[in-house]
This record gives sequence, C-alpha cells and structure tokens, in this order.
Amino acid sequence: MIGPRRRRLSDIFRRSERAEVDDEIAFHIEMRTRELVDLGYTSVEARRMAEERFGPVPPIETELIDSTRRRRQREERAEVFMDLKQDVMYALRSFIKNPVLTGTAIATLALGVGATLAVFTVVNGVLLRPLPYGDPSRIGMIWITEPVQNGTIADMPLSSGFYADIEERSGQFEAMAAFRFWPYSLSTSGSADSERVAGARVSPALFDVLRVRPVLGQVFTKEQAVAGGPNVAVISHDLWQRRFGGDASVVGRQVQLSGQSFTITGVMPAGFAFPRGAELPAAFQFGLRTDVWTPLVFDDADRRNYGTMNLSAVGRYAPRSSRPAAEAELAAIMKDYLERKKATYRLGYHVVSLADQAGRTVKRGLLILLGAVGCVLLIAGANVASLLVARVTNRQRELAVRAALGAGRGRIARQLVTENLVLAAAGTALGGLVSIWATDVMLALVPGSLPRADDIGIDWRVMSFAALVALAGGVVFGLAAARSVPWQHLALTLHAGERAVGSRSHRYGRRLLVASEVALSTLLLIGAGLLTRSFVALQRVRPGLDARGVLTAGVSLPIAGRFNPSADGPLWAAKLDEIATRLAGAPNVVAAGAVSSLPLSGAIEAGSLRIVGEPEPLPGQLPHGPYNVVAGSYFAAAGIPVLAGRPFDMTDTATGQPSIVVSREFARRYFGSPAGAVGREVRVTFEFTRNPPPRTIVGVVENVKQMALDEEAVSQFYVPESQMTYPGLTFVLRTRGDPLAAVGAVKQAVAAVDPLATLNDIRTMEDVVSQSLARQRFSMTLIGTFAALALFLAIVGLHGVLALLVGQRRREIGVRLALGARPIDVVRMIMGEGARVTAVGAVAGVVGALAVTRVLGALLYGVSTTDALTFVGAPLLVGAVALAATYAPARRAARVDPRAALTAD
Amino acid sequence: MGRMNGPASLDLLQGTLDLLVLKTLSWGPAHGYSVARFIQLLTDDVLHVGEGSLYPALHRLEERGWVESEWQRSENNRKAKFYSLTAAGRARLRAESKTWTRFSAAISKVLQAEQQPT
Repeated sequence: MIGPRRRRLSDIFRRSERAEVDDEIAFHIEMRTRELVDLGYTSVEARRMAEERFGPVPPIETELIDSTRRRRQREERAEVFMDLKQDVMYALRSFIKNPVLTGTAIATLALGVGATLAVFTVVNGVLLRPLPYGDPSRIGMIWITEPVQNGTIADMPLSSGFYADIEERSGQFEAMAAFRFWPYSLSTSGSADSERVAGARVSPALFDVLRVRPVLGQVFTKEQAVAGGPNVAVISHDLWQRRFGGDASVVGRQVQLSGQSFTITGVMPAGFAFPRGAELPAAFQFGLRTDVWTPLVFDDADRRNYGTMNLSAVGRYAPRSSRPAAEAELAAIMKDYLERKKATYRLGYHVVSLADQAGRTVKRGLLILLGAVGCVLLIAGANVASLLVARVTNRQRELAVRAALGAGRGRIARQLVTENLVLAAAGTALGGLVSIWATDVMLALVPGSLPRADDIGIDWRVMSFAALVALAGGVVFGLAAARSVPWQHLALTLHAGERAVGSRSHRYGRRLLVASEVALSTLLLIGAGLLTRSFVALQRVRPGLDARGVLTAGVSLPIAGRFNPSADGPLWAAKLDEIATRLAGAPNVVAAGAVSSLPLSGAIEAGSLRIVGEPEPLPGQLPHGPYNVVAGSYFAAAGIPVLAGRPFDMTDTATGQPSIVVSREFARRYFGSPAGAVGREVRVTFEFTRNPPPRTIVGVVENVKQMALDEEAVSQFYVPESQMTYPGLTFVLRTRGDPLAAVGAVKQAVAAVDPLATLNDIRTMEDVVSQSLARQRFSMTLIGTFAALALFLAIVGLHGVLALLVGQRRREIGVRLALGARPIDVVRMIMGEGARVTAVGAVAGVVGALAVTRVLGALLYGVSTTDALTFVGAPLLVGAVALAATYAPARRAARVDPRAALTAD
Repeated sequence: MGRMNGPASLDLLQGTLDLLVLKTLSWGPAHGYSVARFIQLLTDDVLHVGEGSLYPALHRLEERGWVESEWQRSENNRKAKFYSLTAAGRARLRAESKTWTRFSAAISKVLQAEQQPT
C-alpha cells in the first residue's frame, strides 16, 4: 500500500536555509548566555561574552547555509528517486492485481506498436537509412530520355558512344562510371560444378564514385581496363565466404568465368553488392546482389557506337556542383551532339540521385502503409487510454485516500504517468518482438522486388522510434488518466463512500474517442476495399497470353570475352535453336520457344522503327515500343494468338528475307487492321548492325502485357533470333499436365547443348504473372490486415464503452424497468447509444476517406478513388459489426434486476 | 574563559575535532551547544573549541553521512537542532579512534625516548 509520502519533521518546518542556520546559532548563543547568567554575570555582560566566545558569525553563517542547501538538494534528489521506485513498484503490483485489464492493454499496445514498428523498419530500411556508400547524397544515376509519342519521358540506358562523350567532356562530375549486367558461370579448380553468378562489367571508376574500398587486395585499375588487358575480377564478400570459405589467399587465384580464366584481385566489403537489381529499373535484369565485377572495356568501335543502348551510368558530382548543374551540362553535351549529327530525333539526359533511384518506385506505397499503420496505432492507443480512464474511475476511492493522506495533485498525477509509462514500455517491448516476426512476414510478400529489402534490419533509428512511441504513449495515457480524476470531488468520494462516476464531459470524451476509432477504421476499410477491388480487376486482365500449363526458364550461353553478335551470333542462334528443338520433342511438351524479355517478368527492351513508304515523322514521333527476340515456336508455346499472317518459321533464316511480327495495337494504329499490316516494310533502329535492310511484317499477334497487367496496349515488335542473335533467352514450354514436371527435360537439353550454359529462374508462367502483382498484393494484404485489426480494436473499444455505460447506469435502468419499461426498450436504448457513436464515426470516416483516398490514385487499377460500392459497403460493414458488438452489453442491461439495482449502496 | 588566551590551549586539527564530535555524539543525540560543553568539560578546558568552528564540523559530518540532524524540543523546551550518530558514523568513530591511539602512542614513544636511536 502506498501512503502519502513519508513526512519528516524537516518538511513541516521547512524554512529557508538562512532561517534554519540563524536559529541554530541563536540557540547556541542563548544557551551560553543563560549559563553565564547562572554564574553571576549580568545578562548584558553574559551576552557579550557568549558572542565573543562563538567568534565572528558571518563567515560561519555563510558556510552553514551552503552546506544546508547542499544537503537539502541531495535529499530531494534521493526523494524523487525513492518516489519513482515506489511508483514503479506500486504500478507493477497494481498491474499484477488486475491481470485482465493489464493483459488487454499490453496486448492492444503490442499489436499496434508491433505493426507500426514492422512498417517503420521497412520504411527505414528502404527510404531513410543512408546508402552504404561514401557521401551517398553526392551520387547520381545518369539516364537518357526521349520524348515519345504520348509525350512522356522514358529513362533509358546509355550507349557506349554517349557514355564515352560525357565521360570525356563533363566537368560537373568528379568521377563517372558505366556498368552493365553480365551473368557468368563460375567454376573453380577445386570444385567441378559451375554456378551462375550475378556479374557486372564496370568502369574501374565505379569504386571511386561509390567510395568503397576492398577489404582484401585491390580493385582493378584504369590501366587494366583496356582492350587486350588482363582478365581480372573483384568478388563480393558474400561470394568469398560462400565459395571460398573466407580464405585470404583468394587474391591472386584463378577462377573460370564462363569458360575463361580470370585472376581475382580483390574482395569487396560485406554488404557491398552494387548494382542491386531491385534498386534499378527491372528491365536491366541486374541480379538481386552483384557478386562479381569485371572491367568494362571500350574499343574504338564502342566509342563510335551510339545505337546500342545497354549501359547504366553513375557519377559523383564535383565538389562545387550539384544534380541540376550536372544535368544541365549533360543536356548541353547532348544538344551539341544532335546538332553535329543533324539528328532528326530528340534525346536528353536525366540525372536522378541514387537514393531516389533506389526508393522512388515504392516511396508512395510505403508512406501510405505507414499512414495506415499509424491509424492502427492511434486506435490501439485510444483503446488503451479509454481502458485506463475507466480504471481511474474505479480507483477514485484509493486516490481519495491518498489525497486525504497528503499526496498533492502533482504527486498523484506523477504516479499515474509513471504507471502508464511502465505499461507503455511493456507494450512496446512486446510490440518489438511482434515486429521482428511481422517484418519477416511483410518482406516475404515482396520477394526481390522491394529495393534494399535484402538487408533490412532493426537499427538505432528503429530503436529510437520505438522508445519515442513508448514515451509518448506513457505520457499521453498518464495525462489522460490524470485529467479524468475529478479532483474537486475526491474528498466527497471518500465521505460519501459512493463510487463516483465520470463526469458528463468525461463520458462524452470517451464516446468521442470511440467514434474516432470507428472513423479511422472506416477510413482504412475503404482504403483496403479500393485496393482489393483494384486487385480483383487486375487479376481479370487478360495478359494476351495463356499462362496455364506453361514453364519458363532463363538460359544464358557463356560469353567470356567481348559481346560480339556479328562473330558469335550464328553459334548462339544454332545452340538456342537446338535447345528449342530438343525441348519440343520432350515428353508432355506441346510447344517450345524462347523470348528475350519474358512478359511480366520485369524485363523489357524498347525501340523505335520507321514505316517504309510513310512520310518522315516529326522528331520524337517515331512508332516506339517494346521489342523481343524470339526463337522456336514462341507464340504457340506462350499461347499468344496470331491474328493475321504467320508466326516465325523455318523460312526466317539469317540469310533469308528479314522479317518482323508486330502487335495488334501497332497494326491498328498505323494500318487500321491486322490484315492491313501484313506485307508492309519497316526499318527498325534497335538492331546491332548499322543501316539494316527493311523488315517485312509477316504476322500480327495479340497485344501482350510486357511490364505490368495494368499497362495500356502498345506497339510491340518481335524479330527472330536467327536474324538478331542474343546469347541468352528465356525458354517457354507449353506442357500437358504439371509444367514443373518438364524441369528435368530442360536441364538435360541445356546441358546436352552447352555444359557451360546456365539456367536461372525456372518457374511456371502462372507464378510469373502472380509475382508481377507482388507489390499490389503487398499493399492490399497489409492495408487489409491493418483495416481488420483497426476494426477489431474499434469494436473492442465500443464494447468497452457500452459495458461501462451499462455498469454506471444500472440504477437508472433499474428504475426504468421498475416503472414498467420492457427489456426490449432497454436493449434498444443501449444499442441506440452504440449506434449513435458508430454512425458519427462511420460518417466521419467516409468524409475523411473522400479527402485522403486520392493518394491511392496511382496504386489503383480499374476502380475510381471514390468508388461508390466501397464507400457504401465499408461503413455498412462497420455498422453491422458494431451493432453485433453492442448486443451483448445491451442484453446484460436488459437483465438488470430492478430490486438489486435499486438497493445496492 | 577568553578564547585562545590560555598558555595550554591548542588549536585543534580539523580531523581531531571531527573525532571529538563523533565521540561526543556516541552517547546519544545532542545539539551543538551540548557538544561544545561536553568537549569543554572532558578536556578540562585544555582544548578550547572555537565554539563557532564546531558547527561547520557538524555540518561537514552530516554531509558525509556520519551524523544526521533533526529539529526537536530541547531540555528547556526550546527548538534546537539535535545531531545523532549514524551507523556509518559509528564505524568511522571506531576506525578513527584506532588510528588516533596508534598515532598518539607513536608520538609518545618518540617523546619519551631517552637516547638517540642508533
């Protein structure tokens, strides 16, 4: 039992330090005087002698005042600490005495805080935490932009010619590097099996741009990165541990990369994996984490090649430069180039900071999630506050006793705040545990497609956020509880021996709290409803192909040296064709083909063409769209209908008539109909060779969703592998029965044709389609979960308020029943109370949703942000659930025994 | 009765005064005046405590936690600040007495020595 603070005499005679010291000195002098008087001195004499004997007062007085002050301060500090200890102990005891209330409060907080911390951990990992490079804010990604038909600007990679130009001429960058994805098959002398590793060919300057140094050995130098230079490679910390067991002697060792011998010169620090696939546009097909870096080498032909756009570039701004200055300078270089070439097309540059590049695609979605989970936290907090306020009502007698024993208002308020801090801390700690699990669950929903998600963890930012939440919660709850104490009536409570009920304004406040909870959950429910409707609409979209029964597998032929399609192309084409032929003959395979950018896998290559015989279009108005290189019976295997003409066949050889297949949308836009396009000629700009001969449109196929199910139909082009050779394609197999049963056949066929070829991403087409919706599913699942959680908490809150109401109005209800009210009237009265609160909340929620669902706009497909069904359905659902929840307390009220209610104290 | 006028009076070392105060209080709580009187009586007026300097000593001992104080009614029903020994003070007194005894024994031994040590 806590009493009022133990009182000391020093408290009662709390005087100024000076008064206390003066009293002590005066007492001494008086006593001495009295003794001298007893010895026979006159009182005047005695007083003088006593003072003389004591000595000079002022210096002693000063010293004593100082020491008294010091002592008092120390005592006060000790007292505060004692009080705190007492308060905490008392809080713990009182929590143990009320396990249900405490458990409910802590569990509610743990849910709210756990969900919030999990989302914050992800937001921090993706958006807030600095990139692991030196001074990352000074690094920018460089892209080429092109005005296209509908006026939008696309970020495209650079060609080696453009890159060489800006590297040579730019003064706004202190360092600049180009890089491109390059898968390798890695084998070491110690082990027979080769594995596919995500590699990148990079300018040596990349390590300067990022300011990252190897932990072991050296990175390769500019001198090594020249045509005919040595085969050198830098490996990741991860690969070093995984493949070489962290052996320090790895530097200088020879490894086989796609059949050629390379010397390892260095090992990068742990966590360094630039470029990381999820941070760059998916079309570049970078691995999730890069494991091997080899030099990117330009020869004279590369420096003159402006057409093959396959390089990403990154630069560090010069000390006095900035992103806009760098961008302006690059634009000037491009303008100069276009004028020199008298080019009919328009191009520009776009520099985007590395941090934005990494997070921009997901920023909005994550912030919306944070907002949603914040609503859940608010509701949880409101519930706990409401519980605690109710508890104060039940504790008025105890508080009155304490007040009577001398505890001041401040002291009692402090006790309440301490109690709630303890509670909030416990809830937050438990919430922290919940969040560790919840973060994993969240990240499992978006495998590989969330930037920087591979090394998200709890760091000091997350910890401080959690501490802040706990502190804010404790103080707010404590003050809410303290405010609800009817200070003026405390004494009355004690005298009357009656349990005071909350004042009118307090009851009103609690209802307002619950109405806000209902409003917030209605809002979340509407958001979740919109996302769900959008998701359903997306799943109904016809992708233009038939994903059922289709297996896909990426195959990369080894290329160790230069990418040289004109020399190696025929061999690549022959090998890939051979694989397709073997697969077509495998058991249960209906058709087999291959494509360079598998639809909905994130891969894309886009280019433009001119229609032979049409007038030269305005700059930027060339027909533009994704193109694919295909082999085997791709259209049959993927289930893409051929609407006119024919698919590619054996007649489309390297030396035969150049051919092309286009999409229905291209045919519609430029020729009116599929049939009108067949036989026409076009010149494509994306071939490896310069000034290629025109291609004849041999067929028109259905529009296929390339990047996302929600994209508009666009012009699409297909050329045969035999005429535009690629060293790697994704195979597509239409099978009978389970597509995964054909995996063995794929492995066999690939190994038989080239043992160094590597396989990756073997999965069904249905998985590919489903994974393309991963982000939408992520948003929908999370917002849906939060909405459900919010509704549940709001209902718990509503139930609690009504139960309390029934308890407080027992006597009134008894009177009504005694005066002839029927139980159904009582039920109606209580449920009416609940319905009023719910209705106010639901209406507020709908109004709020009208104001904020605009932010969801970009995330929705096929549903308006003010979708009527959702805006009516969500509040109706909330109302129905709320009404069901009010029934129990209403029934209890109806069963009140009038006699018992009227005679109780 | 004048202060510091007797030929035998000694200026007390600070530590020595602390020791005397602790000893005085070991018989029970006392206010400053009675501490001064006890010391005066017990030392036969040889050691004239500068009465004023007694109080800083008392406060110092209190700050160190060796004594604690409380305002109470005195024998003649006057409000007075009473000092009493804490457990720590008692321990301190024991330790200090031992040290003092050894110290004074050593000094006496030197002063009573009859010949120069070889």
